[in-house]
Amino acid sequence: MNKTQLLQGTLDLLILRILDLGPNHGWGISNRLQQISQDGLKTSQGSLYPALHRLEMRGEVKSEMTASENNRRARVYTITRAGRKRLSQETETWQAFALSMRRVLGEGR
Amino acid sequence: MIARLFASLRGLLVRRRIDGEILEELQDHLEREIEAHRRRGVPPEEARRLALRDLGGLTQTIESTRAVRATWLDTFWRDLRYGARLLRRSSRFTVTALTVLVLGIGSTTAIFSIAYAVLVRPLPYADPDRLVFLAEHQGSGISWPNFEDWRQRATSFEGIASSLADVVFVTGGEFPQRLDSKSVTVNFFDVLGTRALHGRLFDQSDARPDATATAVVSHAFSVRSFGSAPAAVGRTISLNRKPYTVIGVLPPGFGFMSAAEVYLLLEPQVAANYRGMQNRGSHTGHYAVARLGRGVELTAARAEMQNLGAALALEYPQENKGRSTYVVVPLAERVVRDLAPTLTVLTGAVALLLVIACVNLASLLLNRSASRAHEFGIRVAIGGSRWSVIRQLLVEHALLVGAGGLLGALAGAAILTGLIRVAPPDTPRLDEIRLDIVVLFWTTFFSCACAFLFSVLPALKAPGAGARATVLQSGRGSTRQHSLLRRSLLMGEVAVATVLLSGSGLMVHTMVRLSRVDPGFDPHNLQTVMFSLAGPSWPDPRKQAFFAEAVERLRAVPGVENAAITYSLPILGSNWWNWFTVAGRPIPPGAVMMDLPSAGIVPVSATYFDTLKIPLIKGRLFDRSDTPDSQPVAIINASLVNLYWRKRGGSVNVRGPAFINADEDPIGQQIRLAGATPADGYGPWRTIVGIVGDVKQHGIDQDNPQQIFLPVVQQTRTTVFAVARTRGTVSIASIETAIRDLDRSVPVFNDRTVDQVMREAASRRRVAAIVLSVFAGAAVLLATIGLYGVIAQSVSERRQEIGVRMALGATDGQILRLFLHHGLIVVAVGIGCGVVAAIAAASSLASLVFGVTVTDPATLGSVAALLTVVTLLACYLSARSATRVDPWEALRLE
Repeated sequence: MNKTQLLQGTLDLLILRILDLGPNHGWGISNRLQQISQDGLKTSQGSLYPALHRLEMRGEVKSEMTASENNRRARVYTITRAGRKRLSQETETWQAFALSMRRVLGEGR
Repeated sequence: MIARLFASLRGLLVRRRIDGEILEELQDHLEREIEAHRRRGVPPEEARRLALRDLGGLTQTIESTRAVRATWLDTFWRDLRYGARLLRRSSRFTVTALTVLVLGIGSTTAIFSIAYAVLVRPLPYADPDRLVFLAEHQGSGISWPNFEDWRQRATSFEGIASSLADVVFVTGGEFPQRLDSKSVTVNFFDVLGTRALHGRLFDQSDARPDATATAVVSHAFSVRSFGSAPAAVGRTISLNRKPYTVIGVLPPGFGFMSAAEVYLLLEPQVAANYRGMQNRGSHTGHYAVARLGRGVELTAARAEMQNLGAALALEYPQENKGRSTYVVVPLAERVVRDLAPTLTVLTGAVALLLVIACVNLASLLLNRSASRAHEFGIRVAIGGSRWSVIRQLLVEHALLVGAGGLLGALAGAAILTGLIRVAPPDTPRLDEIRLDIVVLFWTTFFSCACAFLFSVLPALKAPGAGARATVLQSGRGSTRQHSLLRRSLLMGEVAVATVLLSGSGLMVHTMVRLSRVDPGFDPHNLQTVMFSLAGPSWPDPRKQAFFAEAVERLRAVPGVENAAITYSLPILGSNWWNWFTVAGRPIPPGAVMMDLPSAGIVPVSATYFDTLKIPLIKGRLFDRSDTPDSQPVAIINASLVNLYWRKRGGSVNVRGPAFINADEDPIGQQIRLAGATPADGYGPWRTIVGIVGDVKQHGIDQDNPQQIFLPVVQQTRTTVFAVARTRGTVSIASIETAIRDLDRSVPVFNDRTVDQVMREAASRRRVAAIVLSVFAGAAVLLATIGLYGVIAQSVSERRQEIGVRMALGATDGQILRLFLHHGLIVVAVGIGCGVVAAIAAASSLASLVFGVTVTDPATLGSVAALLTVVTLLACYLSARSATRVDPWEALRLE
């Protein structure tokens, strides 16, 4: 697992987690990301959109152009069943990974 | 997989919309972000800048988002557009490559399509591979009793049928009409596996002696005569003044060996001893077609027939002498017999052209890959994947070959149409020829494979291995291996051009020789019709009176200089060949027919020689003193005198029967035609009164046959030619009318004119000559372009070296020599190999050339000289550019 893949996987996981709370548009997701991670995870907004579209191509989220305030249209993303499945799988993997990391680092201290 | 393809396709179609939506989405994001900043009190300009910065640039984000959506189809589309742009920009390369492709694919497809239709596509009969053609010695007609013995004794065949090409007259109309007909055995259609379109075909009930006469007609005839095919069945037609019931109509396009409109039964004609068919010694013009039994090999059938031939020759030594070797060949081979050599040559030529085109294409692509190695090196160096480079090349060249294939198909169709137009009309299976998709596929595939081989394989090696090295070489892309490969390809090109050019040289030589052949008569301004005085109402005296009257009537037609009646016409062949004996020369005991001298027998009117302008060599021509009651006379031609009355080289000509003494004056001697056996005579003894010049009786490229002319008043015939020598144009209709006006019941019809037959005979060679010349021209052009290109490439690659050499004081001559050297080697080796190949391939032309040997040293020499001059000129012109290199500029490039 190289660095980019790790980050990409992380970003996907975070997006899915946010969408699990409810449908949202890109800016909303980006906002929540900043709040949740409290700048602990550095992700540029620029990499958010490719990630969202990639998730949509994989069928893990779906999107719809909906009318929003000020006569604009916003793309609103919703998590799909496949998305939820991946979320729960990857969450488990992450937790297992984090647990072993903690163990290793804790023992080493 | 299918779903993904559809998704990709839809993606391609809706990509504009998606691009718009991405933009809209990002703009929405930016506005929200700006608003958020504004709420925190950031000024508008600064808010906008921050929002854009955080997004990482609008364009970049659109680009990277879109890249996620991009599928292989998008990538392909992008490569395609990029490739098209590149091809448009390097238009010289593109035009050259397209020309090469169109030339190669177009001509190959056209010629291969013809070859396929004529030579390869199965004959239109059921299970045609099992059909064989049978004939007696050297393909001559079969005697009916022999044929019956074959049927009884041969076990290799499921069935043996026979057909006799003939002519019938449809009577009962305003005036009789002539039709091509075939008399066939009852089982003929069974053996071919043909079924009736309407009605039925022949069966045993039609062959019973008491059966009503029946006929099967062609589809075209039924429509022409009765309006439709079903309407013909059951109708009665009058043929040769005898009623026949039409029992069936054949499917459209049915034919066997030659066209026919009416099929009659052969068995009743044999029963009536038509053409003496009951006689075993009468080898009439009927041929057999047989269907091999299942699992029987052709070789087995051939062996059985050879044994049978030997047995029949033993049983009937008199009638079957010298006829024991039978012809047993696949029917398909026989049908295309005459055309096969021409087509083989053309196909060979066009295959060579395709090879040249591919070699040139390869060379072009190699050059291009080499000159772009720098670009690819950079792309790989800055992180482009090797696959993306290869994919780009593949797409680009696929685009090129695709366009070339499309244009090539169009060109092929055009060439095909042109070739069909100039093809001799008697070309077998002409109507079956069409542009063949399979052929087109293969030629295009071949070009693709060639493009792949020479563009992608070098690219596979180049960028990966030494991307850095390639970049550092700063544009000197081509490697030594490439130029070696290119040079070998060029040598091949020059060699192929040599082969094609020598073929074309031989054919041109042939055409010149043929045009110089003296036919022995004046073939121009001759109008001919045939007419027939058949039946009991035409006793000999009435025929003779009609002939005399016809000549007078024709000479009275305005524009007609002279006219004659004859049984055979020059070029068209001999209608009567007979053995004869000479008075006072005893026939050795035991001699058979084959041992007697023979000649073509031509009954003619007295005006014949003047009308055709055949010169009298000695003695006199026929005149008014020759009447039915006067002394029977004959005129012989020079060939006959040479063959049977002259000593040549001190010994009697071996072909001449030994019992004619040589070196006597034939004039005054008496000859008699032979009857059924050597001892029998046919007609009276005739005195030779004159010797006339030879004519090309059997065609312009044939030997002069020996001939005996008889006065038609002393030897009448039923069906004859009326021939008129005209001044300028006299319509054939006025000739026909002149004869028809004498008697409305006489069938008058057109046959092919002498001129027409000469043109048709020449046209096959002309087609070969034209095609070979055009191809040879194209091959020379391609080879020249190739040579020029390779040297120009090498000059541009070595500019710096040239600059250094010049700076060090090299003269123009030295620089020129540097580059000419390589061209010289290519030309010398190429022409050398080409001459060897031309000699090896020469035999394929053997049946087409005339008056020149296929390995004619003069032709090969001049071809080699011509090619040397042309190619060296190209080398020189190209190498000269090296001397124009400015040393300062060349060195500054470094």
